[in-house]
Amino acid sequence: MRYIKIYFTCLRIAFSQAAAYRADFLLGNIMSLLSNILFPLVTVVIYANGASFPGWSMWQVLLIQSVFAMSTGLSSMVTQGVMWATMDHIREGSFETVLLKPLPPLFYLTAVNFSTGSLGLFIGGLVMTVVSAVKSCTSAAGVPAFMVLFLAGAAVLCGLDLIMAAISFKWVGNSRIPEIFDSISEFGKYPAGIFPKAVKVLTAFIIPVASVGFFPASALLGEVEGYMLIAVIPCLVFLAFGIWIYHIMIKRYEGVGG
Amino acid sequence: MNRLRHRLAVCRAVAFVTYKEWSAYRTHSLVSAFVGPVYFIVQYFIWTAVYGSSSTFGGMELEQTIRYFGVSALIGYLTMDFADWNLQMLVRTGKFLIFALRPVHHRFFALSQKIGHRILGFFFEFLPCFFVFMLLFRIDIVPAYTGWTLLSVALTFLMQFYVNYCIGMTAFYFVQARGIRTVYMLLASVFSGALIPISFFPGALQRVMMFLPFQYTNYITAMVWTGSDSIGELGLSIPQAVLCQAIAAAVTALLSEVLYRASIRRFTAVGA
Amino acid sequence: MEIIKVRDLSKIYTTYKRGSGFSAALKSFFKREKVTVSAVDGVSFTIEEGTVCGILGPNGAGKSTTIKMLCGALFPTGGSIDVMGFSPAKDRTKYVRRIGAVFGQKSQLIFDIPPVDSFAMNKAIYGISDADYKKRLDDMTELFDVGDVIHKPTRVLSLGERMKCEFIMSMLHAPKIVFLDEPTIGLDVIAKNKIREVISRMNRNGTTFILTTHDLEDVEQLADNVIIINHGRKVFDNSLDKLRTTLGSKKMIDLTLAKPFTGSEINGVAVKPGEDRLRISLEVDTEQRSITEFLATLSSTVDFTDISVRSLPMDEIITRIYTAG
Repeated sequence: MRYIKIYFTCLRIAFSQAAAYRADFLLGNIMSLLSNILFPLVTVVIYANGASFPGWSMWQVLLIQSVFAMSTGLSSMVTQGVMWATMDHIREGSFETVLLKPLPPLFYLTAVNFSTGSLGLFIGGLVMTVVSAVKSCTSAAGVPAFMVLFLAGAAVLCGLDLIMAAISFKWVGNSRIPEIFDSISEFGKYPAGIFPKAVKVLTAFIIPVASVGFFPASALLGEVEGYMLIAVIPCLVFLAFGIWIYHIMIKRYEGVGG
Repeated sequence: MNRLRHRLAVCRAVAFVTYKEWSAYRTHSLVSAFVGPVYFIVQYFIWTAVYGSSSTFGGMELEQTIRYFGVSALIGYLTMDFADWNLQMLVRTGKFLIFALRPVHHRFFALSQKIGHRILGFFFEFLPCFFVFMLLFRIDIVPAYTGWTLLSVALTFLMQFYVNYCIGMTAFYFVQARGIRTVYMLLASVFSGALIPISFFPGALQRVMMFLPFQYTNYITAMVWTGSDSIGELGLSIPQAVLCQAIAAAVTALLSEVLYRASIRRFTAVGA
Repeated sequence: MEIIKVRDLSKIYTTYKRGSGFSAALKSFFKREKVTVSAVDGVSFTIEEGTVCGILGPNGAGKSTTIKMLCGALFPTGGSIDVMGFSPAKDRTKYVRRIGAVFGQKSQLIFDIPPVDSFAMNKAIYGISDADYKKRLDDMTELFDVGDVIHKPTRVLSLGERMKCEFIMSMLHAPKIVFLDEPTIGLDVIAKNKIREVISRMNRNGTTFILTTHDLEDVEQLADNVIIINHGRKVFDNSLDKLRTTLGSKKMIDLTLAKPFTGSEINGVAVKPGEDRLRISLEVDTEQRSITEFLATLSSTVDFTDISVRSLPMDEIITRIYTAG
């Protein structure tokens, strides 16, 4: 209860900061929105040239990518700040200041690093999702399954952020770590049918990035399959793993830095 | 002659120091050896699926498109730089002062730095990816015409540098120069051809692209490398395409010189 | 011989007023309010070859702008500068080859590699011959006692070690003039002394130094001449000895009394109260009366247990010049 209160206080501070620097806030949000919604251009170009992903209409593919953008927006707001803050603290050798706070370190970092800069991406993704959903004639029946799968997908992205943050304890100052995971999550932006079986299994159960875009979009399209719902379990395991490995790294840091 | 030898000596010394400086981070460069192939695999499956519904696309066949994406990644490793970021940082922090006090043009210094940095990139980014593509993925990544390809890559190297240097110089004029850089990078990500070959865009847009810098930093080079004898809607031959690149690089170099003269006057007039 | 000649030097900055917040930013987009600041205002001086000249002044007085113009990094708005026959800003590329500069706050060394690699880069940039390079590097590493240090990555060096390396880097091409901006800032006593020692040694070999600092010990130990700038104008320009006596030849007499003294003056000299009622100070102008005579009458006027006579401290002098200017 106390933690919830602290979290919302930090949230309020983050938004009042954003209000104080309105111009920066607007510009930053527009930029992050633009840079994340440009890649559907590939899909648009493909369909504009009369080609297609077999069995998928353009709006259906765009739906996958819109859901993906929305999920990225949500997870970035919540946990991406933790990753950058951890990286900075480790490089500057100032992680002790985090350990001095009378709160669990991971909770503290999550609370104070809420990124309002990704709000635009979340809202933009939401709008695109609604438009694509209307255009591709989805049924309301899929909404509950969508909600479950969407949250599972966002959990995967949060888990990825924490794993990257954990890696930065060891791989000091490497600002390119996020690229590794950005490249892997690329697999979640397209209909899984285009990938071979091994990739499908890998992206559903091991590094479950298919849950970020493809699974929830399928649910909205009324094409949810049993294995997609089972894949919620590895998603939650993935987030738990991220939290666990981050704590391991803190323990090690305390042991070494004395 | 003596001057030239001196400049070569400066270039070598600066390149060497930069190489050494970045060597500390060579494991960071190896990230590329993972990321490059992963993006390539995604592209491979996307386009294999798309070509299932039509045998040619924007005048390119599947095999050529696959090679295009492999080559396009390699070109990035050979020619990228952050002269824009670096110069903006120097101006913003006032550290540019140190370069104003050295008897070497900062642009020449920065170009030498890029050479050192890219030599490192050649070993730790280009070569690993090259072998992954060639030996593991078995794609035909060897240039069709070695001479033209080398020339084209060299021009891309310079073009990218001069463009980025111009963007860096905006920091002499605007406090929010970082925004300009972001906007350029955004446009470049779409129109350089790294995401989609420019041939896939409508004809009118392709013609506009001839007059913008973007495609000369990736698309044209990748087409020359893959040995396409009729590039884009205009159907450029390889010599014609390389000539266009040379003109674009020369114009950008000229622009950077004009901008530099105006900027340095501004720097020395306004303060460090 | 005069190596630097500065006449009527001035520098006016034009900036635009910038409000905070979005609406002000939007407004400034259409209509900008000009603000002019006169940082340096009609300053003239000359510096003799082979001397050490200290430029002093409070923060924001125009010291830094002056030294940047002398280095050629800034164009003057008005007036002229002549250094070894060059106009620094106009002939910059030719000129900077002949000068050295150490800016305490802006490092020339490359962070991730050992200083010796940065030095080798400067060797190429300044076209220093192998023989000269080796000799100068050996001399200076020995002088500064940094033989091992220059092979360690810069990022692991202490501030003192780094500063010594900055010095070496800017002197490898044997410049005739070296500009030093706050060269001892933040250093410990040992490192400070080492750097001062090397400066006076190089100076004896003929190098001219221009030095800005807030550390008066730097000036007292090194400078032959002192220029003081305040509010963009020159308020003092003479030898260090002249600076010491500029407020007249004054001596401070500190007394510890046997019993509290209540008067406001002793023999016509104002009494300055000290830490407690038994301690007082007297400031005697020795041009107006002889110090021996004053001391003789003093002992017959008050009863004291301890006495010390000293010169007016430098910071006191400087503070008075600042506040007067």
